[in-house]
Amino acid sequence: MTATVTTPAARRVFSVFSRKAVVPWLFLAPGLLLALVFKFWPMAKGIWLSFFHVRPFLGDQWVGFENYSRVLTDHRFQDAIGHTLILGIGQSAGAILLGFVLALLLEGQARSLKIIRTAVFLPAVTATAVVGELWRLMYYPTSDGLLNSGLHLFGLGPVQFLDNPNIALYSTMAMSIWIWAPYNMVIMLAGLAGVDRTLYEAAAMDGVSLWQRLRYVTLPAIRPALMIVLTLATIRGLRVFTEVYVLTGGGPAGSTDVWMTRAYTLGFTRNDIGGASAASVVLLCVTLLLTVTVNYLRKRGEAR
Amino acid sequence: MGDRRRRRRLAAAATVAGLMFGTVACGSGSDSAGSGDPNTLEVWTRSNPDSAATYDRVFAAFTKKTGIKIDYQPVINFDQQLQSRASTKDLPDVMINDTALMGSYQSQGLLKPVDPASIAGNDQITAKSWSSTVGIDGKHYGIPYSRQAQTLMIRKDWLKKLGLKAPTTWQQMLSVARAFATEDPDGDGKADTYGMVVPGSSQSGYAAWWGASFLWQGGAKIIESDGKGKYSPAMDSTAAVNTVTWMKDNLFCGKKGVVQPGALTAVTSTATNFQDGNAGMYMTGPYNITTFDGTLGKDKYEVIPAPAGPAGSDVLADGENVYFGAKTGKTKQEQALGAFLVSAEGQRIAMTSVDGHQPVVRIPVNSTLDAAKVRGDARWSVVQKAYEDSSEQFPNAPDFAPIKQDTADSLNSIFTYCGGDVRSQLKELNDTLAGDLKDQDLLK
Repeated sequence: MTATVTTPAARRVFSVFSRKAVVPWLFLAPGLLLALVFKFWPMAKGIWLSFFHVRPFLGDQWVGFENYSRVLTDHRFQDAIGHTLILGIGQSAGAILLGFVLALLLEGQARSLKIIRTAVFLPAVTATAVVGELWRLMYYPTSDGLLNSGLHLFGLGPVQFLDNPNIALYSTMAMSIWIWAPYNMVIMLAGLAGVDRTLYEAAAMDGVSLWQRLRYVTLPAIRPALMIVLTLATIRGLRVFTEVYVLTGGGPAGSTDVWMTRAYTLGFTRNDIGGASAASVVLLCVTLLLTVTVNYLRKRGEAR
Repeated sequence: MGDRRRRRRLAAAATVAGLMFGTVACGSGSDSAGSGDPNTLEVWTRSNPDSAATYDRVFAAFTKKTGIKIDYQPVINFDQQLQSRASTKDLPDVMINDTALMGSYQSQGLLKPVDPASIAGNDQITAKSWSSTVGIDGKHYGIPYSRQAQTLMIRKDWLKKLGLKAPTTWQQMLSVARAFATEDPDGDGKADTYGMVVPGSSQSGYAAWWGASFLWQGGAKIIESDGKGKYSPAMDSTAAVNTVTWMKDNLFCGKKGVVQPGALTAVTSTATNFQDGNAGMYMTGPYNITTFDGTLGKDKYEVIPAPAGPAGSDVLADGENVYFGAKTGKTKQEQALGAFLVSAEGQRIAMTSVDGHQPVVRIPVNSTLDAAKVRGDARWSVVQKAYEDSSEQFPNAPDFAPIKQDTADSLNSIFTYCGGDVRSQLKELNDTLAGDLKDQDLLK
């Protein structure tokens, strides 16, 4: 009988692992395990490597912050910051705006709208490598190219969309907007579906203009959706890689080189894994900072 | 309330700790197998399934002859895989990969030195080929296996139609290119043909790879050895300035159509204009002969030596070496495989195509063999002659990857901005190259 008597301390230990506390974590365990192995461990390893001169066979050499200072003082990385910002802001703003317009146009229950919505959403689910190849063909710099043959009709061109260093970044931006606008559209469509119809009716009774209806009814109502879209776009904009890599590879003359393509070149064509890790960690910190800021602003906005 | 939260946190921490333990346990459990048997060599090549089929025949013949078994692994993303094997300190016994990687591998300590005298039949490899495997410390770090040199592929039907002769100098090449671009060689009445194909992107260093032959022909070098293991950058020389200026003025900033549209962002996989039949010349490696025979047709084009520049007609040479992994402890067996791979028998098997599979030796390093005779294709003698008489590799001792990449970045930039000043841009490149060499402690 004495064996079944539990001391208060033992009961506390037992209650720490009471079923109520443990069960949720057990359910989360498979997901957590995957995240740990495939996300957090590599991430920690990346941060660790950024302080080393990486030599897998001879053993890594501790170099402290040398990788960081080298990356941050490299003029090509400094140029890449500018390109990343222009591309990130441009593609985010463009994709959000276009996504919003598409969402407004394609909101509704009609069967035809469903078909069009599916068609419009296709770019978001197509592999970026395929999209890149498609746009390379569209941008083909002679009058045989799709876009240039269009311009040719008006007696313009041919425009060197990808080979002109002043245009290449904007050509990349156009492709990115094309890819991401439908994605934003879907999130905003969900937001639009939640708008109280009576508000529109009341607005109509008050005789508001289209613009006023958008400004004072629609936009405030889909603000949560907009915030999600904005956060996602910020993160995506900063770590843009595939779009640039498949379309221009950072060229010509580095005019489309963004932070991630630089990091990739450093790591995989120059075998400088330490430097590439440092560059990625810098990007991680900036992204984290921006996400937290956007969140903070959102919360403050909600509180008001 | 607080107590409950604390309890939850504790439970969470316990779960995570449990997971960590589980992962670590799994990690230490996996061990690479197959390295135990002394009579089995693990061999890696950078090959797709097509060329792997040819290697299979080579290794089967070796096993039959010596009884040493081969655990053959064709690897496509060779360097990433090699890095992960390197971190386990257990390398493949023998690797066959690009000549240009030797300096990089050696600086990472991945290679075992090779004494040429220990390889049976080493005298059948020319001194020129052997010299291309000398590392920074004067020891050999590889056995030459396959070589190739760039040649000019040119549309002979176009030449004939326009009544032109195959070019032998830069100037002639330029006028042929202009004629191809403007005189409608394909006869469709449209201005849709171009002079030559240029993979001019800086991605993976292509601009430097393609441009190297021009630099050699103009008498320029990228870096120069002082013969005592130190190097100095040489891209600010008069020869380099003149060569790069000529390329910029005539190929990229001169008449339209001399090079294919989109050349500045093209890599070899996207620069398909020659095989698509809308560009007339392509300076490239002989591995393309198989491709072009299939897509364009053998009767449409010919393989000719590169047109000469002011300093001659040297072209870029490269190829593959056999490397021995460091600390593998199977030296005797590795030497036997090395000797077989470079023997006339081994090279002959690797040069012939069975069932349409890609051969893996282009120009044999074994001097008793003749590429054109083994293949029964006279065009290969052009390539072999180019390799033997007028070719130059990238310097093999230093880690050349950063040097190639920086050169490509700079050339691509010079060719892009037609208004720029070549001399000052090359001066800037030279400073960057000096930095690269300094990083490797090789700067003179």
